[in-house]
This record gives sequence, structure tokens and C-alpha cells, in this order.
Amino acid sequence: MAKEKDNSFTKLVEPHLNSLYSTALRMTHNLHDAEDLVQDTLYKAFRSINQFQQNTNFRAWIFRIMVNTFITAYRKAVKQPMKISYDDMEEFYLYKRLDETVSLQETSKEEFLENIFDDDIKNALESLPYQFRLVVLLCDVEGFSYNEIAEIVDAPLGTIMSRLYRGRKLLQRYLWKYAKERGYIKDEFSQKT
Amino acid sequence: MSSAKKHEHYNCADIEALAQRYVDGQLNDYENRLFEEHLEYCLPCDKKIQFELKLKEIVHIKGREMIPDEKLKLKLKNLFTDLL
Ligand SMILES: [Zn+2]
Repeated sequence: MAKEKDNSFTKLVEPHLNSLYSTALRMTHNLHDAEDLVQDTLYKAFRSINQFQQNTNFRAWIFRIMVNTFITAYRKAVKQPMKISYDDMEEFYLYKRLDETVSLQETSKEEFLENIFDDDIKNALESLPYQFRLVVLLCDVEGFSYNEIAEIVDAPLGTIMSRLYRGRKLLQRYLWKYAKERGYIKDEFSQKT
Repeated sequence: MSSAKKHEHYNCADIEALAQRYVDGQLNDYENRLFEEHLEYCLPCDKKIQFELKLKEIVHIKGREMIPDEKLKLKLKNLFTDLL
């Protein structure tokens, strides 16, 4: 009996395991905590698998369990007030900065994106306040729809969209900062911003 | 749709306001058609949107941690050894 439950659960979970680990890693910042988080999530999911309704969205269901587990475990960190200035949250932030950059030719904006180091993307994601990071990860990295994300983090659609908006703007700001630090951007004006 | 809507067009401000939902594939068919119609004749908007799409793709690829299949299988196996 237990063996059967074990097998069918494994089949359900296996396709999503990489996604769970990847998201856990970005959320906790280290492999050890990520392993704990995924493990706790899997235990909980296994124990409450009877509550999962066949033919509904298992991926969203198990991500929801992981998000709840994360919030419970990191309650203190999660509740810290966010000290972020929303001053330059303009749309197309990175595009506009690159556009102002004389040393970059028009054609190299996409090249600029392709040349961003994996580590810069990962650092930028991990630097986001957790509420923003979570929705950006779920949307951009994991490809969930707005409705699925609303279900996973248990927040209204409007909240999801505004977190996503702010998260992406911040991400672009970090990427711009890294580009300057790495010396990709050599224009003098850009050293000030 | 009302007859007034038949000749509706999006301007650059509409594109900016709907950019995120377009990039995320969350516009309905009607909005999507108007959005893309604007991009066809407005090069500045088209460039910005192509950039946002590319950035999303880059984050999708580079933001993900790839864990070897074998390692994942082993983790699952260990989990059940603990569990049962
Ligand atoms: Zn336009």
C-alpha cells in the first residue's frame, strides 16, 4: 500500500523537482537551506496528497506548499520592512539607460543582454526583496501565469502584477549597476547614476 | 464590441501601460491584436518591447539552476528511505 502511494507520488513530483530546487535556492540563498526547504515541502505534500484533486494543477499545488513552508520558516526575515526607493521605477528602465549610452551602438542592446553573466542574473534576482523575488521567479523563471501565481502566493491578481512590475524594474536597476561595475558602460555620465 | 471600438487603436502610452501584460502573454486576443498592430508601425515601441521580451528570456534561462537528473533522482530516493 505504502509502496504504491510512494510510486505515484514520485511520478507526480519528479518533473517539478528541478524547478522546486531552483526556486528554493534563489529564495534561501544557499544549497543547504534550499535542500531543507524542498525536503519539508515534499514531506508536507506527501502527507496531504489526498487533498490534491486529480487532474488539477499539481505544479501550482506543490509550489503553493513550498511558498507557505518558506514563509513559515523565514517569518522574521519576510516581515522586515522594505527600504526601497521607487523614484526611478520608470517603464523600460534598462532600455532607456542603454539608449542614452553613447558608447553602445543601437544594434548591441540585445548583445548586451546576451552577454550578461549568469551570476549577475542570479545575484540580481537574489537581491530583490523576497515578495518581489518570488513573483519574478514564478513568472519569468518558472513560467507560471498570473492566475497561477495568485493561487500560489495567495494574493489578489492586482497585487501580483504590481509586485511583478516593481520587481522587474528593480532587477533592471541592479543589472544596470552591475554593467557599470564590470566596466561594460564607459560613458562618463553613467558613473553618477 | 461596440461600433466605437471597431476603429480603436493603441497609442504609445497604451503600449507602455500594457507592456508587462503583453510580455507575459496575459492580454486577451483583442488587446493583443491592437498591441501588435501598434508595434507594426511604431518602431520605438517595437524596439522597447523586443528588448523586454529578450530580457525575460535571458532571466528565464540564466536565472534557473540546473541540477543533474541523477542527483535529483537520488534525492527523491533518499527522501522515501527517510519517509517509510
Ligand atoms: Zn509607439
